Amino acid sequence: METNEYLRAVLAAQQLKDDSAELKELQSERAKVEEIIRKKFGSVPTIRYGGSKAKGDLIKESYDLDLICYFPFDSNAGGETLENIYRNVRDCVSATYYVDEKTSALRLKSNDLKEYMRDFHIDVIPGRFTDDKKGDCFIYQKSAEKCRLKTNLDVHISHIKNSGVLDALCLLKLWKIRRVIKLKNFVFELIVVDLLRGKKSSSLADQLTHVWTKLKDSSEPIAVEDPANPAGNDLSPYVKAAWSELSGAAAATLTSIENSGWENIFGTVSKTSTAPSIERMQRAAAAVISPNKPWCPNA
Amino acid sequence: MRKPWHKSNAELFAKTKQEIETNYPELRVAVENDTVFLRGSFTIEENGEILDRYLIEIQFPDDYAESIPILREVGGRIPWTADRHVSNNPLQGEACVIVPEEWLLRPDKDSIRSFLSGPVRNFFIGQSLVERGKPWPFGERDHGFKGLYQAYGELIGVSDPETIRRYLDLLSRDPIKKRALCPCGNGKRLRDCHLELVLRLQKKIPPSIAHRAFGRLCSGSQR
Repeated sequence: METNEYLRAVLAAQQLKDDSAELKELQSERAKVEEIIRKKFGSVPTIRYGGSKAKGDLIKESYDLDLICYFPFDSNAGGETLENIYRNVRDCVSATYYVDEKTSALRLKSNDLKEYMRDFHIDVIPGRFTDDKKGDCFIYQKSAEKCRLKTNLDVHISHIKNSGVLDALCLLKLWKIRRVIKLKNFVFELIVVDLLRGKKSSSLADQLTHVWTKLKDSSEPIAVEDPANPAGNDLSPYVKAAWSELSGAAAATLTSIENSGWENIFGTVSKTSTAPSIERMQRAAAAVISPNKPWCPNA
Repeated sequence: MRKPWHKSNAELFAKTKQEIETNYPELRVAVENDTVFLRGSFTIEENGEILDRYLIEIQFPDDYAESIPILREVGGRIPWTADRHVSNNPLQGEACVIVPEEWLLRPDKDSIRSFLSGPVRNFFIGQSLVERGKPWPFGERDHGFKGLYQAYGELIGVSDPETIRRYLDLLSRDPIKKRALCPCGNGKRLRDCHLELVLRLQKKIPPSIAHRAFGRLCSGSQR
């Protein structure tokens, strides 16, 4: 299979249909979260959905949903300060979920003892609009140098959605996810869109190779601008923290393609696209030469 | 202060990296604050076919390969419950793929490739089946101390917990004194009782491993 044809097949295998079990579960959980927030704060906050579905770069192996919960600029219903809003929304959802407190987002996981810590792939992002236009917004930044960040959901969505490089973005996100590179998705997306400016008409393989080469060759972390607040948001700490991982993984990927081809990066398509059947997994188990039993220290 | 293993044993570190680069292109080695991690996507393959994949992080202990690497599933797919063999407290999502001493007795315990293709792969095959309502394909140990006694009992060939403890206590000693009481518990001297068995076990279970196992049973801390 020709490289670009192969990459298209990888993309096709990563599509998540609207009626898929994953999206259905996500939607039903999302409705539950919204109900919980509404019960506590009524109709005061604006609740909207962001994340990869809205941006158009959703993939099967990374289908997070951002649920933004922004309070009006002149309301203290969610709390007086941004930190209070963050904490109050956290307390509101933590009765139902285990809440993993990220820098600005609240990641929801199961607190049911049977499903403890299973990830719902939902981030709740509390914040407050900067004015009555309900566009720009301030969000709290826990344990960051600046405790607030100005952002704009629509600007982010449109920046990615209209980037013209969504296919490359999906593949690069898949690459990043599978290598567990700890860099915020939106920062990574901004880097990719920026690096592919002027490369929109290139083939997928060329786009990917271009991004990896730039990441490998740049001795300094690439500077990235937040379109929602170009002069005000300094994203460099995020890039800096992940730079050696990102750059090293890009270098390893290019070497791997050169030595073993593209299938070494994204796997064999026909073999990754089918859901693992119980029978095939049982056959794999039956072929194990040195079986061992799992254990758990928790009695 | 003791040097971290990747500096004190550069040869083992090079071998570990080589094994990963050659066999697991979707995994990568990272060193953070002198701790070595392995992160990425772990695939379950059979006859060249990818059946399933998990996002993982493996943390190498400071005294690797004298202690077992710590595995975590980081994709949020596996609940942190004892029934799924993931510890939730206080071990922060550690997957308990095998009783540590069972792994540390393996001659290839310093091969990350063997760890990944053995206990890690077995663990995830089990997870994929359990997720679909099937039982653990290779069985499972009981939780807590009961599981430890099962594993150590199988190694020694006895099942009574007190006897297992006595055997591990004796095997921890170097050298073993023949006039010590036999661990079988019948009151005779070792030389007049199970000396042959103990000598055989001594070859199979080195004192350092027996000491770890005995300590785990005595300390109340099972990790």
